[in-house]
Amino acid sequence: MAVCVAVIGKDNSPLYIGGTGNDTSTDNELSRQWLVHTALDALEERLASTNNTNLNSSANASRTELRDLYLGLLYSTDTHKIYGYVTNTRIKLVLVTSSTSPSGSNIRDAEVRTALRRLHALYADAICNPFHLPGDQITSTKFDKQVKSLIMNNV
Amino acid sequence: MADDIVFELLHSEIINYSLEQNKSSNGKEVDLSVVEYIGFAAGYKIMERLTREWPRFKDELDTMKFICTDFWTCIYKKQIDNLRTNHQGVYVLQDNAFRFLINFSSGQQYLEYAPRYVAYTCGLIRGGLANLCINSIVTAEVQTMPSCKFHIHVQRS
Repeated sequence: MAVCVAVIGKDNSPLYIGGTGNDTSTDNELSRQWLVHTALDALEERLASTNNTNLNSSANASRTELRDLYLGLLYSTDTHKIYGYVTNTRIKLVLVTSSTSPSGSNIRDAEVRTALRRLHALYADAICNPFHLPGDQITSTKFDKQVKSLIMNNV
Repeated sequence: MADDIVFELLHSEIINYSLEQNKSSNGKEVDLSVVEYIGFAAGYKIMERLTREWPRFKDELDTMKFICTDFWTCIYKKQIDNLRTNHQGVYVLQDNAFRFLINFSSGQQYLEYAPRYVAYTCGLIRGGLANLCINSIVTAEVQTMPSCKFHIHVQRS
């Protein structure tokens, strides 16, 4: 299951980091921040390679694949797998699953894709909240609740 | 259709209201920066929704095409009639039947008031592009009613 999801802004500042509190090793905010932070370099790398191949106008098939917003598995550690998604507006969505728990180790790629797409939909709704200023952290409890239920149910 | 007109009525009332506000505060000067800002905020927020199902944009021109087709259809129920660019960051979008001007008489009668009715749209384009990480300056010109040209100057740092 997913242990943590994060929304990261255009300037790489965290807009929202949330997760479930069952697993003691990832229970605290600090380790979540660390996990997400390590994913940023991998994300940047993927994005840069996407742009380069587009400039060189490589084969059409690989190009359409790279133009997908979902970037797939960024990398995996002994205990976690980290998936990434970057929107057209350069908002980065990161999902971390635990590879030690039985439900997390054999999670399918399609499931993660669906979860991240739903997270994107939730984010698009959250910034339409008139009390939210662009670039600020997302403090809405509704968003928080919806993300928590997304983590619990979907993945 | 009555439900389409609501947006136009609200838009014209916002302009009347903001003109009224700055008439009472600083004399005669016409200041539409508030209207432009309202447009900016709306464009910024709407872009997140519109690009959700869209593949990643290839380049700036691809983004502009999106503005001309899907973005414009969503707000003005039609596409931009003409897009021109010098490939150096200047884009000119021409709409031959701009929704906010279509109800005016097409002669010279209201030509001097027309700039008021394009300020919101300038902000809307600027906000949408800002969310797609393109900083720009958007100006508009109305030469003959009801057509309208929007000039987008992309700011490269």
